[in-house]
Amino acid sequence: MVVGALALLLILIVLPLGSLLIGSLVGDGGFTLENFARAVTSRLYYQALLNSLILGFWTGLLSVAIGVPLAWAVSRTNLPGKPFVRLTASIAYLSPPFLIAIAYVNLFSPNAGIVNVFMRDVLHLPALTFNIFSMTGLVFVTVPHTFPFVYLLASSALQSVDASLEESAQILGAGRLRTALTVTAPLVAPAILSGALIGFVNAIALFGSQAIIGLPGRIFTLPTRIYALFDYPPQYGLASALSLIFIAITVAALYGQRAYLARRSYVTMGGKGARHHAVDLGWSRWLLLAFCILVFAITILLPYAALIAVSLSKSWGLAFWQNLTLDNYRFILVDYDVTRRAIANSLILASLAATLAVAMGAIIGWIDLRTRISFRRIVDYVSLVPLGLPGIVMAVAILEFWLQLPIALYGTLAILLLAYWARYIPLGVRAANTALRQIDPTLEESARILGASWGQSMRDVTLPLMRPALFAGWLLVFVPAIQELSASILLFSSNSITLAVAVYNLYETGHLEAVAALAIVNMAIIGAAIAIARRIAGANEAGEPAGASS
Amino acid sequence: MAGIAIERLSKSFGGGDTGNAAVADLSLDIAAGRFVTLLGPSGCGKTTTLRLIAGYLTPDAGTIRIGDRELSSPQHVVPPEQRGMGMVFQNYAVWPHKTVFENVAYGLKLRKVPARELITKVEAMMELVGLAGLGARYPHALSGGQQQRVALARSLVVEPEILLLDEPLSNLDAKLRERMRTELKSLQRRTGITFVYVTHDQAEALALSDEIAVLHRGRLQQFGAPRQVYAKPANRIVADFMGLVNLLPATVISASGGTGLVSASSLRLMLPLPKGAAAGAAVDLAIRPEAIKLLPLDATTAGTVPVKIEEQSYLGNLSEYYVTLADGTRLRVQTDASIEHRIGDQALAAIDPERCYVFLADGLDR
Repeated sequence: MVVGALALLLILIVLPLGSLLIGSLVGDGGFTLENFARAVTSRLYYQALLNSLILGFWTGLLSVAIGVPLAWAVSRTNLPGKPFVRLTASIAYLSPPFLIAIAYVNLFSPNAGIVNVFMRDVLHLPALTFNIFSMTGLVFVTVPHTFPFVYLLASSALQSVDASLEESAQILGAGRLRTALTVTAPLVAPAILSGALIGFVNAIALFGSQAIIGLPGRIFTLPTRIYALFDYPPQYGLASALSLIFIAITVAALYGQRAYLARRSYVTMGGKGARHHAVDLGWSRWLLLAFCILVFAITILLPYAALIAVSLSKSWGLAFWQNLTLDNYRFILVDYDVTRRAIANSLILASLAATLAVAMGAIIGWIDLRTRISFRRIVDYVSLVPLGLPGIVMAVAILEFWLQLPIALYGTLAILLLAYWARYIPLGVRAANTALRQIDPTLEESARILGASWGQSMRDVTLPLMRPALFAGWLLVFVPAIQELSASILLFSSNSITLAVAVYNLYETGHLEAVAALAIVNMAIIGAAIAIARRIAGANEAGEPAGASS
Repeated sequence: MAGIAIERLSKSFGGGDTGNAAVADLSLDIAAGRFVTLLGPSGCGKTTTLRLIAGYLTPDAGTIRIGDRELSSPQHVVPPEQRGMGMVFQNYAVWPHKTVFENVAYGLKLRKVPARELITKVEAMMELVGLAGLGARYPHALSGGQQQRVALARSLVVEPEILLLDEPLSNLDAKLRERMRTELKSLQRRTGITFVYVTHDQAEALALSDEIAVLHRGRLQQFGAPRQVYAKPANRIVADFMGLVNLLPATVISASGGTGLVSASSLRLMLPLPKGAAAGAAVDLAIRPEAIKLLPLDATTAGTVPVKIEEQSYLGNLSEYYVTLADGTRLRVQTDASIEHRIGDQALAAIDPERCYVFLADGLDR
């Protein structure tokens, strides 16, 4: 089993990464650094690198500006409607970013965007129009996906800071503001910074929104530049070099995040229950609520309403409501075989990838936590490597590796599955680790001493206890997999087309109404998956005790 | 019936340096049907020893046998499931996803016991440990004591020859602990199963055991009946660990025929000497607090020393004092509570040599 897990990690992650390295360093005439030289000297490429950094920086900053006030409001004040704020953050996070981008194109594209049309042609106020195809626009459509990272980390940090830490400052004479600045802020700062860095890493990896918003405005970023290098004739060497630079940026950010969190680990350790008195905001809580509603409107209400409206209209424009129709749904679900196939493919791929990633995670987690095999740490580290690989980089690596082999995987569902599987192994490992840490080893040991073999103790004790967490992990993989675009865009063929790629292709050909319908279908699948999962998890809890450890 | 023969057992974690060994060169013969306790402070290697016996760990050296069957050696370890033992863990390790009945029945199911017999056995066992009628409950709906009984029942129902218990009472509150102690003792007597019991609580060990093995830093210090270990501690560590003791640096004044005159502070006592303690040797004198009697100043008993009362506390069934000898040496004294001495009073202390021990000052560990 251990050998099998190692072999799989080798094939899924290590060897593709190796091909990437070789591909970037070996040219026609042997070893060369020319690819890297071009990547950093040619304006084409360093501009993309610069754009990616600018995008990541502003996205991270805005995520803090939105996430921290929301986190503070929810965990420390008497803000009305807290469940609404929590829901806003979850939906914003779960909404596929490239669909949000498409929604905003329908509202703010320079010529046809309905808001722009309204401002220009109805109100005759061209000054109030906004061109979404700009860096500002790109940051704007990316932040809804990234601010929830800051929100979640900051609110859990705020909740876990023991109230007595702040009370001790107050009893020593520090006022509320001084306490906030000298005690609370330093305690939660690592969590906030960590959330911002995760937001940064996620933001720069999003191929979809960067292609949809960036390309019409001639704003190239690393993912779109790498993608363009696969136009005929493909430039593998340069693509590999850019990919490695991309990995370096991502890994540096993640390393910084981990190091900072680790050094200040007392922050989230919290200790006993926090017991904070909610700050009474008085009338200003309505101001804060207005801010929350604004965030909701921008991240959810506007884009969803736009997509629904577009999907129901014959032709998108100011008078769309005069000719509503369901034809777009019939087109993508019944008439058009490409979208039908894409939906089926994505369902299959997401289900398989989730199952495989979680199974692999369970095995790796078990090796790491329950055995003393000397190389178990290495297995654990390798399984986390995909965290540092943006989707499109994973695709480049897998492509280069499998193209060298005599097995014709290119263009099949199998190569997509390999990419998804590899990408989501870290999520599976994390879910399994969490589950196993909560299961005391003596629960397994007591089965063994009663006569159970290793297999029987796994079947009767360990796996049943892990099931809820593994199921949650499955969903955690399924949701991003069903909307996966960054890796699929390089690996698909007309037979193995996926949901997100179909959306992107339809968008490129200008079928905005059909795109919107497909987007709604995509979101509906995600919603259904979550609803089913909740139901199953709820049913599980009824028959099972609260804590898995005794 | 199964006894356990442990021979020259060693186990260390990490380095493999014997200085850091969790268990070092441990030999122990546990006779069949006995209640044997491994006693020592945390980190003394008692739990490691138990886990070696259970087969969860592989020894670095030495063997464990039952009868003529070798269970553990560095080369080969019979896995836990093939040892026919039972084990009760400190945290009970009751499976939270199974009902009480399912927990208890698990071992029988593995042995493919027919359904009817299984139900009879499980119910009889639940009755025996006082869980009758709770079979359908989940563990989270049970108290700590009840969970402990589930763990016991689960281990006993498969009729093991040996039951290993790892501090099973330490998570219970004081009252329940006393009661479970009595129940464990009678359970062992009724079933005749060999119990190997791990605890750091010397009172528990004294009350429960047929034999106590005192461990310190992975080494066996003494193995014997409770009375023997308490009254005749083999060394200073055992004396210190088995109940309260005053330890004074002392000198042998004269020695002959295994006994000698020992001097510590203003005390002069004729005591049996350990081997190698000749006249002039530096030794440790151990005096149990209950070996000291406090008498009024006008008492005429021979061999007393004057002391001054420094602290006094009333413990109900007895009184505890801290007294000082002429040179300021402090002694802890426990006496009958009926006579009261006040702080600051002078008194005479009479010391019962039967309850004093002399150890060589160095060579604490054998």
